[in-house]
Amino acid sequence: MSELLEVEDLTVTFPTTRGPVDVVKNVSFTVGRDETVGIVGESGSGKSMTSLAVMGLLPKGAITSGSIRLDGTELLGRPERELRRLRGDQMSMIFQDPLSSLNPYYTVGLQIEEMYRAHRDRSRKAARKVAIEALAQVGLPDPERRVNHYPHQFSGGQRQRIMIAMALVCRPKLLIADEPTTALDVTVQAQILRLLADLRSQSGTGMVFITHDLAVISSIATRVLVMRRGEQVEYGTAEQIFAEPRHAYTRMLLESIPRIDDEVAP
Amino acid sequence: MAGGAPATSGRRVLRVLLRDRGAVLSGAYLALIVLMAICAPLITAITGHGPNDFDTAAVDTDLGGVPYGTLGGISAEHPLGVEPQNGRDILARIAYGARVSLIIAASATALTTLLGVVLGMLAGFYQGWVDQVICRVMDFLMAFPALIFMIAILSALPQGNRPVLLVVVISVFGWPYLARVVRGQTLTLVNREFVEAARACGASTGALVFKEILPNLRSSLIVMTTLAVPGYVGTEAGLSFLGVGVTPPTPSWGQMISSSVGWYAVDPMYFVIPGGFLFLTVLSLTVLGDRIRAAYDAGEAA
Amino acid sequence: MMARYVAGRLAGVVVILFLVCLFTFVLFFTLQPDPAVMICGKTCTPERIDQIRGVLGLDRPFFTQFFGFLAGIFAGRDYGEGANLVHCPAPCLGYSFQTNQSVMEMVVERLPVSATVAIGAAVLWLLVGIAAGLLSAVKEGTWIDRTAMGLALGGSSIPNYVLALALQYVLVVQLQVLPFPQAVAFSDDPLTWFQSYLMPWIVLATGYACLYARLTRANVIDTLAENFMRTARSKGLPPLLTMRRHALRPALTPIATIFGMDFAGLLGGALITETVFGLNGVGKMAADSIAKNDQPVIMAVTLLAAFFVVVGNVVVDLVYTRLDPRVRITSP
Repeated sequence: MSELLEVEDLTVTFPTTRGPVDVVKNVSFTVGRDETVGIVGESGSGKSMTSLAVMGLLPKGAITSGSIRLDGTELLGRPERELRRLRGDQMSMIFQDPLSSLNPYYTVGLQIEEMYRAHRDRSRKAARKVAIEALAQVGLPDPERRVNHYPHQFSGGQRQRIMIAMALVCRPKLLIADEPTTALDVTVQAQILRLLADLRSQSGTGMVFITHDLAVISSIATRVLVMRRGEQVEYGTAEQIFAEPRHAYTRMLLESIPRIDDEVAP
Repeated sequence: MAGGAPATSGRRVLRVLLRDRGAVLSGAYLALIVLMAICAPLITAITGHGPNDFDTAAVDTDLGGVPYGTLGGISAEHPLGVEPQNGRDILARIAYGARVSLIIAASATALTTLLGVVLGMLAGFYQGWVDQVICRVMDFLMAFPALIFMIAILSALPQGNRPVLLVVVISVFGWPYLARVVRGQTLTLVNREFVEAARACGASTGALVFKEILPNLRSSLIVMTTLAVPGYVGTEAGLSFLGVGVTPPTPSWGQMISSSVGWYAVDPMYFVIPGGFLFLTVLSLTVLGDRIRAAYDAGEAA
Repeated sequence: MMARYVAGRLAGVVVILFLVCLFTFVLFFTLQPDPAVMICGKTCTPERIDQIRGVLGLDRPFFTQFFGFLAGIFAGRDYGEGANLVHCPAPCLGYSFQTNQSVMEMVVERLPVSATVAIGAAVLWLLVGIAAGLLSAVKEGTWIDRTAMGLALGGSSIPNYVLALALQYVLVVQLQVLPFPQAVAFSDDPLTWFQSYLMPWIVLATGYACLYARLTRANVIDTLAENFMRTARSKGLPPLLTMRRHALRPALTPIATIFGMDFAGLLGGALITETVFGLNGVGKMAADSIAKNDQPVIMAVTLLAAFFVVVGNVVVDLVYTRLDPRVRITSP
């Protein structure tokens, strides 16, 4: 029985005017069926590129090598047509800025419905019901009315909930969350994290959680992958990483987390 | 960091432009036209034909004034041919016409830029009722059917001092478009932190305007101005075409095109030459403006 | 509050039109060579000039004339007296003594021609321009893109009278594919009607098509780079649906507003195109009246053109609130 997601020796290269540049170098990790794996790193570490490679959404010109297997099926090199069928249905993604990630010209209802209608049932009535249910599930009050509202009529936290609802509406096996809480207020962050954790465990979805914030990872991930400049620096269970970090870089990241009991210089 | 103007951006843009084939070709053609305009008296001295010298020997009066020879009378004597009926040298008239077009376009650009920048900045800087008044005036001018009005004013006014009038009229209707952009940018700049910081340091209004705001407007100004110049050339030519531009016998490309209408069945070159010069000039200005804009945009993205 | 907004905008329209009127009136009042002299013609005597001035009301002070004009718009106006009485029914935009018609009549006669030119050109430039822009954007960087944009730059640089004359020369004189434009009604001779309007449509549409192609291309490219396009792709939606629904609407909505303004401007008459092709529209009427110094007509044409532009502005803004959900008019 294979793992949900197996990434092996993934390398992503971009041709530039200064020669080919590896933005991801020989990265390997696995995600189990019911677990959350965190990918941590600073900007430019290649963590987003890794997730885009899994989804097959890399920008034009990217050259990938290695292997990405979703539930045993190899994703790299698959024709776009087949990848499209998998996207939204088997694997979903949510992004950092929910305002710009939603189309301002259409209601949130329509944007959720089109996901359902593309992969499950064409009927508009069925899709509408599913959309309302999805909004209720993520804790949005008054979903029957608000399903007809536009993205700009919601708050940042609510918009991220909508993105989550949209991503999970077809019950994908894998959810990739690319810095979903970075753009939100701290209090809202906690709510969203809890929501993600709850939904994930309810539906048994595997999750890849990408962030630059180690503190956030500690609360939700079972395994952690630390990346730096495209390379895999450390990979292990969360306890291992936090208790006995092997790499200097990981230690540096850990030390940079401000703690409430830190000494303040006089 | 955010405050001062990026000193190298002008140089960078120039470098980008020099590598762009379209920009280089356009620039070369424009330089040629400018040269022709400046050297117009010299050209006349060399060929021996002034722009208003009749040369009836070059046209066949029996056939109603059609120029001798093919291609509208092109010869060693008259490198671009002659006008039907009066035999005026077309090369000389094109050269002097270039003067008219370029001087009017340049002056209109200068005046429009002055008005647009000053009024746009006043509106954006002081806001309040100053802004309201200026905006209303802009709305009013932009609603005006400019072409109709320009023709009406110009035909009602006495014939003297035409070029000045043309410049004024074109500028009066042209400045709101620039002012609108300047006002918008000034508004966003005025609220930015570096302006507040400068104020907190006790900077006077003058220093604020010249050191903080204007430099940041520079790239938009350059882009908007270069994009507007072909319009001015076209407008002057259009007004001259309709007969309300520069008074004959002062040559103007637009007026030459207008005169060529009756002749194009028998002497198409009389249309093709001024038409071609006008088209290529406007095209070069447009291409250059477009490349400049692209170069600045690429800079912003970087 | 929608009603309040509209009322506010309409009030603004009235103010601007009033100012346009005033401005034009002042200019003609101070600059104009005496229209009475123009009408009088060759066999003129000072008494006749005075008589004409009396009839036209030109001997009265400025404000009386101005308000007489304004009143005429609402209530109609009478010129002269007794046997020479001429009644100009409301809305009276003036009376042309050179053509012996109320200006309103003249406009109504000629508006269909200008409208035909405008609508035909609009259909042409929207179809060609937007299609070209879309194609260029989707094929960004390829030779298709470069060729299309090169043509667009070239096309926007040809002054329309140059293009008009060049087309006429090539198509009518040399190749003899088309006849010279004639004034026929559609019902009389559809083929000649079409042939007569074809060149004006092409000439007028060219400049706009080039502009719209460049605009569309820029907008579509920007839209395709937006984050919500990435989301749409990540949802595994069919590509055509993604383009049609998620890319077109954000890209084309700003163009719709620009189109509204451009079209409104054309309703005032495409002066140069109509003049060059000899089409009897409002634009040509403007040019003729300026040449003949027919002041009431010039006055009215200016007002009419401004009216279309200003009203068009309001309509466009209102339509935009329907198109872009972020700009709905809500109570403060």
